[in-house]
Amino acid sequence: MSSLSRRAALLALAALAPLASSAARAAGAEPPIPGPNSWAAHGAAPLKSVETITIEAPPEKVWAVLSDFARYDWLPGVARVEASGGNVPEKGKRRLVMADGGSVEETLVRWDAERMTLAFHRDRDDVKRLPAINYMTHVTAKPADGGKTLAEWKGRFYRGHPFNDPPPGLDDDTALAAVTALHRANLAALKAKVEGK
Amino acid sequence: MRNCASLAWMLAAALVLPASADEAFVTAQGAGALDIIDVATMKPLAHLSIGGKPAGIAVSRDGARAYVTSPEGQFLTVVDARARKVERQIPIKGGPLGVAVSPDGKSVYVADLYGKRLVEIDPDRGETRSVAVGAMASGVAVTPDGGIILVADRDDNAISVIDSGRFERVATIPVGKHPFGVTIDAAGLRAYTADVESDSVSVIDIGARKVIATLKAESRPYTVALARGRIFVANQHADSVSVFDAASLAPVAVLKVGEYPEGIAASADGGRVYVANWFANELWAIDAASLEILEKAQTGDGPRAFGAFISGKR
Repeated sequence: MSSLSRRAALLALAALAPLASSAARAAGAEPPIPGPNSWAAHGAAPLKSVETITIEAPPEKVWAVLSDFARYDWLPGVARVEASGGNVPEKGKRRLVMADGGSVEETLVRWDAERMTLAFHRDRDDVKRLPAINYMTHVTAKPADGGKTLAEWKGRFYRGHPFNDPPPGLDDDTALAAVTALHRANLAALKAKVEGK
Repeated sequence: MRNCASLAWMLAAALVLPASADEAFVTAQGAGALDIIDVATMKPLAHLSIGGKPAGIAVSRDGARAYVTSPEGQFLTVVDARARKVERQIPIKGGPLGVAVSPDGKSVYVADLYGKRLVEIDPDRGETRSVAVGAMASGVAVTPDGGIILVADRDDNAISVIDSGRFERVATIPVGKHPFGVTIDAAGLRAYTADVESDSVSVIDIGARKVIATLKAESRPYTVALARGRIFVANQHADSVSVFDAASLAPVAVLKVGEYPEGIAASADGGRVYVANWFANELWAIDAASLEILEKAQTGDGPRAFGAFISGKR
């Protein structure tokens, strides 16, 4: 996307909230245009969402599923996964080919078998799919009472509009609700996969 | 006579000690608050409601005031640090983030993330003047003599050098990719930037206005603190603090800390380093000499503590 069309897209977003955008103009603030991978193109406050679920299986069994970064075809809405680089941080890459025809690309950032945790970052922001950007996910299998597992799915991200005065739908509350719903759905799918239901 | 002298000394010590005890002023961005923590006991002293997603912090050298930026609320909060009360809030258009105080406490410098400018604030009168800097201006630091202000122009991969008297940009210094925090040493000779996207620390000779060395940090360095002749770097994605020798620039150690370390600062005597862990909602105390983790304190949600967040007699 050219910087001109990105600018046009941003202006179109701003037009959704005329009051907010006029306030931004009055402030003399001209935010830079975020790139396709907004690792750091943000000024808004980072948000966090932490969700957990108890799984009727030992942590090793849960980690056996979680640790295979290339095979997350059990995630809701995923048709298949194309992957490369294995379970090596910064080298492991995957493309979740979604049942709806779209795709989500992610890079493995951390993989720690001892702590049974891994982390990955969404490479390209797509606020139509998920109204959150610069989204980092951490998934961990923790030992729980009775030989069970407490699986934790948590993320750090920013709202879809990375600057002040977000238009409706790209605000903090929307981002938090969407990511939290995603984490819950992913945990439910993980539980079903591990428990064989 | 001797008894009188020692009594006088004891009285003086009793009067001076409470004022010189270090306190941490931690911005809890998710909670919209400022947590004041007694770092001798790592116990909370006060929890002030600030609003506007507070992020940046600077405590004046005399410990009288703390300044908190709220980038979303677009204001600077002036805190009476001794009474632990909000004095007033001063509007600053754009995205006020990085903040630093002049050594005499008369000027507060605030980087406007969106407006490509550094704003000078008189804490009693409000905004006085501003100077153009680079894109997404983030961290701010002032030399100990107050003459030079450095601003990390994040998206320009550079540092702006501002003459504080004329309030003019006199130079820019290219550094690593996306400098966020900038820290100046006690002698006012060197500055250090945490270069988030190049996983490095740029060591800057302030007088020569150039980078003299680049240190390899871990993933996503955010901020730098200096203590006991050492450089401490908070690596956000690595959950670690990298330690270097400030003289030889040789790596000393990598310390495991809490999840998503962001703000890092040294105690007044340099004996300890404190790091705010954003995901864990914790402030950790590190012994600057032994590099042991000493204690942990709970904070409000999302501690950023971006700036000089420790008060105490220097």
